[in-house]
Amino acid sequence: MHLVIISGASRPQRLSNTAKMIDAFLQGYEAAGNTSEVWYLSNRNQWSEAKAAFEKENYILLALPLYVENMPGIMLEFLTQLSPKSVPGTRMAFLLQGGFPEASQSRCCEKYLEALPAQLGCIYAGTLIKGDMFGIRLMDEKNQAKTLSPFIEMGRYFARTHVFDKAVVNEFARPEYMSAKEIRIFKIFGRPVQRIFMGRMAKKMGCKERLDSKPYAYMRHSQGAFSKLKKDI
Amino acid sequence: MRLFIVNTLPEDNPAARAAIHELSEKISDGQVMHTYEMNIHPCAGCNFCWLKTPGICSVKDGYEAILKEYLASDVTVFLAGTALNFVDYHMKNMVDRLLPLVTMYIKIADGQCRHEPRYDKKFCFGLLYAGTADQNYLNEWFGRVILNFGGESLGAFPIERAKEVLSCI
Repeated sequence: MHLVIISGASRPQRLSNTAKMIDAFLQGYEAAGNTSEVWYLSNRNQWSEAKAAFEKENYILLALPLYVENMPGIMLEFLTQLSPKSVPGTRMAFLLQGGFPEASQSRCCEKYLEALPAQLGCIYAGTLIKGDMFGIRLMDEKNQAKTLSPFIEMGRYFARTHVFDKAVVNEFARPEYMSAKEIRIFKIFGRPVQRIFMGRMAKKMGCKERLDSKPYAYMRHSQGAFSKLKKDI
Repeated sequence: MRLFIVNTLPEDNPAARAAIHELSEKISDGQVMHTYEMNIHPCAGCNFCWLKTPGICSVKDGYEAILKEYLASDVTVFLAGTALNFVDYHMKNMVDRLLPLVTMYIKIADGQCRHEPRYDKKFCFGLLYAGTADQNYLNEWFGRVILNFGGESLGAFPIERAKEVLSCI
């Protein structure tokens, strides 16, 4: 089976966490002799080929990071340009990854993805959800391999089934919510630990400000009016 | 009360013009920004607004003025087009670019992780959409969006019912 994967991540491929998950997924998927092609929407030069692949092939996987409760704007822009498939039978599945650890954060987006394929003339084939993926590209090789290894297994699974079964996905996506114990621990140690790790990341990126600085604080217009508006209408 | 209207539809869109007229009759102090022609870019996902230049977006396309106006206004109403039964990408880009309003720090609120707000301000945002979309879903989505930014959603309404968005203020 030939699978077309279209990544909706905004970051260039080399910096993309989604791309790393795709690579791991394909290790498992291609192990049994399946083939694939991957298009990255962050590179607009690939859009025409991605569109052609969508039109031609029957197995599509859209891979995306969760952006403010739904897909990134760049992916929505791409999908808007597609014509719905006229011949029925194309299966469309999703790989949805987020930064927060809980799967529950992705459910609002999942709800939309469940209804999306029908609008593009496709059949919904499930959504693979995984949270806590923010730091993958910053991990050392060993930890990265450990974190990504479940995606290899899911690639093997998808090669067999061609669908992400809800029960299997829910198990993969756990935890749905953080446990009461985890929340208690987070409330005690979360802030200082975050300050250390995020401070290190910021320093590496050349940050010279506090991470909670307020560059636009106290901006308050004394008097605004719809003057331009009233002229226009 | 200061009202900020972000019009992501074309400036000459009749439904947008009518909605702006209705809203400005109800609240006279405010600002309208027509963003369709500004070509607001997608969020680049660079995390600079969290980790390199906290609170400041690296994409320089005029969005900074919009961020400042969110902070200066009491209520913001977005006018949006629709696509694929959802808001269109112009509006989604607008929402994706809200990230500088929160920090990278995480807190737990109502049993879920949330980013800590950068500013001590409770945002009050509403959505008016033109075209076909699932209103129930838009309400759910927009409610969660605004929750993530430490604010309150006024709800999502068809643009023809513009006044309803301000009825709960």
